[in-house]
Amino acid sequence: MRILTVAEMALREISRRRGVLVLLLTLPLVCYLVRHDQVGQSIRFVMLGLAWAVSTAALFASGTSRHVEPRLRLSGYRSHHLYLGRLVAMWVLGLAVAAPFYTLIAVDRGGDVRLGALAAAMALAVTVAAPLGLLIGALVPRELEGTLILLVTISLQMMIDPADYLTRLTPFWSSREIGTYAIDHTGTEYLVRGLTHGIVVTLLATALVAVLSAIRLRTRPHLRYAPR
Amino acid sequence: MGANGCGKSTFLRICAGLLSPDSGEVVVDGELGFCPQDGGTYDFLLPEEHFALVGAGRGLDRARSRRLGRTGAATLHWDPAGGVQARHLSGGTRQKLNLVMATLGDPDVLLLDEPYQGFDRGTYVDFWQHVWRWRDEGRAIVVVTHLLNQLDQVDQVLDLTPGTREAVA
Repeated sequence: MRILTVAEMALREISRRRGVLVLLLTLPLVCYLVRHDQVGQSIRFVMLGLAWAVSTAALFASGTSRHVEPRLRLSGYRSHHLYLGRLVAMWVLGLAVAAPFYTLIAVDRGGDVRLGALAAAMALAVTVAAPLGLLIGALVPRELEGTLILLVTISLQMMIDPADYLTRLTPFWSSREIGTYAIDHTGTEYLVRGLTHGIVVTLLATALVAVLSAIRLRTRPHLRYAPR
Repeated sequence: MGANGCGKSTFLRICAGLLSPDSGEVVVDGELGFCPQDGGTYDFLLPEEHFALVGAGRGLDRARSRRLGRTGAATLHWDPAGGVQARHLSGGTRQKLNLVMATLGDPDVLLLDEPYQGFDRGTYVDFWQHVWRWRDEGRAIVVVTHLLNQLDQVDQVLDLTPGTREAVA
């Protein structure tokens, strides 16, 4: 219940930032339109734009909460209520942003791609992006540094040679693999690899957020409550 | 109390368990309520949403949280209804929101870090009357202040100014 309350309030807060919502939609759209002449590239770029938008939103959500969370912790919340609530909110937001792009691609390129796999790739991009943004927000308290780290991550993802083994270490490789399965009609090994990678990255990022959050919001050992 | 930079807010954060002291321990009898000096609210949330958020942490349902929040706000001459986001509240009103959030759910120990900043004269006087009422109800209240004119009306004064660290009962 507490997780849902935190999620609801995070969604209410971000839904009132109309400028942010417009930019969240603009980023993947621009990515799509810039490469519209190439089916594969346009779809891969829209997924990257989606991941970028959601992770940035999560990063800033983490920043705006940093000064409120200590008092919420004292009001009865545990640290997992706070980060999981925010994670749920970012997943919901990400899926809401992804839905119109899925519809756009389905209408625009529906005959060229496997739509089920495309949905999985977009969902995985959102799934990975939310904890990644929260993780960067937990690692660096200032939003400018966090934004630059995210920019480096996304730029690396865009520029690295897809054949390079290092690409597997980038957080959104999973979407690329499933995207390849969806666009180029490759074998199911791409789908399996992508799903595995996405789940592992999501779990790893969430676990790190959990650890950092628990450390930051821990009750210090000098404080003890008298038995009642 | 104490001069700027002498560690009043640090002391309160240590009492709240948010910072570690060099030595010593803090024993709290009951639930804590904490009113930070600043930064304790979300810009884009309404006051009643803040009440619901804090209330959920204390195990209160939404209707009760809002009712308690409105009641607390009324005692500070503030009507939180009307859909004004926290970022649009004046400094004093935002501080009232901060204070109401800290007292929501009747915590046994209140830690208030200069909670009256921006209050008008009437609200400031009323605030101290609330402090005394809370004390009479059996709660412990720690108020960080640099204003000297209320010191004769508190039970204990801890002066953190360097060289004068002593408690006066």
